[in-house]
Amino acid sequence: MKQALAILVLLVSGVAGLNAQTTAMDLDGKPFDPLSASPSKTTVLVFVRKDCPISARYAPEIERLSEQYRKNAQFYLVFPDKTESAAEIHKYLHDFAYTVPALRDPGHALVHRASAQVTPEAAVFDAKGALVYHGRIDNLYQDIARKRPQATTHELDDALRSATQGVPLLARETRAVGCCISDLP
Amino acid sequence: MMRWFPFRSGRGAEMVVTLALIASGWCGEAQDCTGGDARASTVAPNAVSFNKDIAPIVYRSCASCHRPGEAGPFPLLTYNNVKAHARQIVTVTEKRIMPPWLPDPQAARFADDLRMDDHEIELFRKWVEQGEVEGNATDLPTPPKFAPGWQLGQPDLVLQAEKAFDLPPSGSDVYWNFIFRLPVTATRWARAVEIRPGDKRFVHHANILVDRTHSARSREATPGAGFGGMEIRMESQSFDPDSHFLFWKPGTIASEEPAGMPVRLDPGTDLVLNTHLLPSGKPESIQPSIGIYFTDHPATLFPMLVQLENDAKLDIPAGDASFSVGDDFRLPVDVSLLAIYPHAHYLGKDLLAEAKLPDGTTKTLIHIPRWDLNWQAVYRYAEPLALPKGTVVSMRYSYDNSDANYANPRHPPVRVKSGNRSSDEMAHLWLQVLPRAADSGDPRMVLQEALARHNVDKNPNDFEAHYNLAAMLQARDQLKLAIPEYERAVEIQPDDATANNALGEALLLDGKSESAVRHFQAALTARPEYFDATYNLGIALAGKGDFAGAAAQFQNAVRLNSLDADAQANLGGALAALGKNADARAHLERALELNPSHRLARENLEQLRQPGGDQ
Repeated sequence: MKQALAILVLLVSGVAGLNAQTTAMDLDGKPFDPLSASPSKTTVLVFVRKDCPISARYAPEIERLSEQYRKNAQFYLVFPDKTESAAEIHKYLHDFAYTVPALRDPGHALVHRASAQVTPEAAVFDAKGALVYHGRIDNLYQDIARKRPQATTHELDDALRSATQGVPLLARETRAVGCCISDLP
Repeated sequence: MMRWFPFRSGRGAEMVVTLALIASGWCGEAQDCTGGDARASTVAPNAVSFNKDIAPIVYRSCASCHRPGEAGPFPLLTYNNVKAHARQIVTVTEKRIMPPWLPDPQAARFADDLRMDDHEIELFRKWVEQGEVEGNATDLPTPPKFAPGWQLGQPDLVLQAEKAFDLPPSGSDVYWNFIFRLPVTATRWARAVEIRPGDKRFVHHANILVDRTHSARSREATPGAGFGGMEIRMESQSFDPDSHFLFWKPGTIASEEPAGMPVRLDPGTDLVLNTHLLPSGKPESIQPSIGIYFTDHPATLFPMLVQLENDAKLDIPAGDASFSVGDDFRLPVDVSLLAIYPHAHYLGKDLLAEAKLPDGTTKTLIHIPRWDLNWQAVYRYAEPLALPKGTVVSMRYSYDNSDANYANPRHPPVRVKSGNRSSDEMAHLWLQVLPRAADSGDPRMVLQEALARHNVDKNPNDFEAHYNLAAMLQARDQLKLAIPEYERAVEIQPDDATANNALGEALLLDGKSESAVRHFQAALTARPEYFDATYNLGIALAGKGDFAGAAAQFQNAVRLNSLDADAQANLGGALAALGKNADARAHLERALELNPSHRLARENLEQLRQPGGDQ
């Protein structure tokens, strides 16, 4: 069923365009489209949910990758839960010492463009705005509550190396482990 | 199955249906968050409802952890709570990830069983498929009541870890130990010990070890600092088997120890809290506390922890996905089995414990078909299980050291043996039993001696096996049998301070003071600041009439532990023998300050005060 959604998203976003109601916004509430904000860079969206411990566990890794690829890639944290307020998100960013900018996506415009299912899940878009990878950050979690001692594969890093250095990418889509976005009201 | 798209116009939704049908032949791997949500527009009259069908399951199997202040990341107490995570719950229950309950169902049931049965899991799935109906308010059972704060009321004594542990934001799991120094001045009995492990979201388990000999203190860099490590070895001075599991895991609701079985807490005892901590993504400060509830009634029943193990046979080749070890122990007395604690590390796969009774029947004590260290627990039986004398208790564990085991700490796999590090392995099975009266003395001693003999038979070249058997025999006044076992232990580990000291003690008691001195000296060579060996060497030298040598040793002993009344009294005695009466009197008086009923100190002091006794 997932592939069906991916096809659909392209069509629907073509039809609906950037409807104000569904567009993502920055924490001041202004509509913001991360995919057109840095035209010469790779864009990375990482979907996170404030009450998701697996999202939280990845904060240092997200921050580390953002720093490592700073020259060629722009990272955004995307909060898809409409019940999470800008103030709560500010606090979360502070608690986890994030420097990565955050967006709210209560209308799920970015969720659909990234085919995201869970938090945390990463989506990598090339400079033209095409989705080149979506899925897990790495394989630290084999499943919910089943964590490896350490990750042994690093899919987001691989995707970024591919996008920024032209290394061939093996997996364009992986299963992310985390908290369901589709449960959100 | 068709799927409606949220947050889209009717037109968009129509397109979804069409495209979904076109693409339905293509299927990736099962998705966790998309299954089973047809969102029926009409609700059947006999639909599954939250209030009638789901709430009782949630209250029993989820709410103890999923409530504010507990380990669960979000509450599951109300309809809205559960609805907000409904699909996630379907996924994790169908995979049996949640609730985290490892044992298979069996005849000997466990207390606080969280397990959801197949029917309940199916109900949950149907409830979500049918559109998460809330149902009639009158069907909702009374929600469980949880006490805020200490579960058993305000404790009589609260101990807080002296120093919080700073948990780093990322990296591997951390095993950290906090030492709590008990401020009791006389032996007390605890009817309950409640563990508050700190922020429960980041503590996977916490386990108290009763340290009666300050074994753990030497591992702290500074007193109160705590120390790292997954497993701790405790020494015991006399026959004093561990008797209680003092264990916390997420969702544990503190309870009192069974009637008649309070925990003995002596002055000078340390409680060592062994914790398993999960980095959370940001720095966390973990500062556990322990609440102790005293009783005036000393123990009348004496349970004991019995350990089966086979660490010596753990030598698991890299890549081996099914490596097995076992151990079988015949009970020499009738026991009631109260609780069970299987333990392996990350390679553990299938853990089984069985009892073969003398009548030929076999009972499953516990079977964990998919071991997961992260959810290890002590399991208490709902009713004690009677195991008669002659029952053979067996453990059969298998291990997966292949890459297919996601928890394997080594990638690619390497050969793994037993050890205390988390990347080593273990094969342990602990049973809490209440031994029944035996013909041949204290049933705990009979049981302990049988265990010690079992271990010597199992591992004839094992230092600890011989040492423990010797200590057991000595405790049963079998000095002549104990000495060769100590000698065998020292032969295996000539530099072990504890064993040399114990052998010295046994030889001294047996009148062989020359040999005793040699072993005390060996103990002190191995561990120069060893109080017990220092003190014992003083005794041995005094026994030979070497009072100058004895006084020097007692001086050292007093320096190592100025609060020990015996050392002060003996130093006084040795000094008196050397004619240094003023100094002697000072130490004898100090001994009496420390222990006003110290008979030897009082008598010696009186003798010094006799006319002509003083200078």
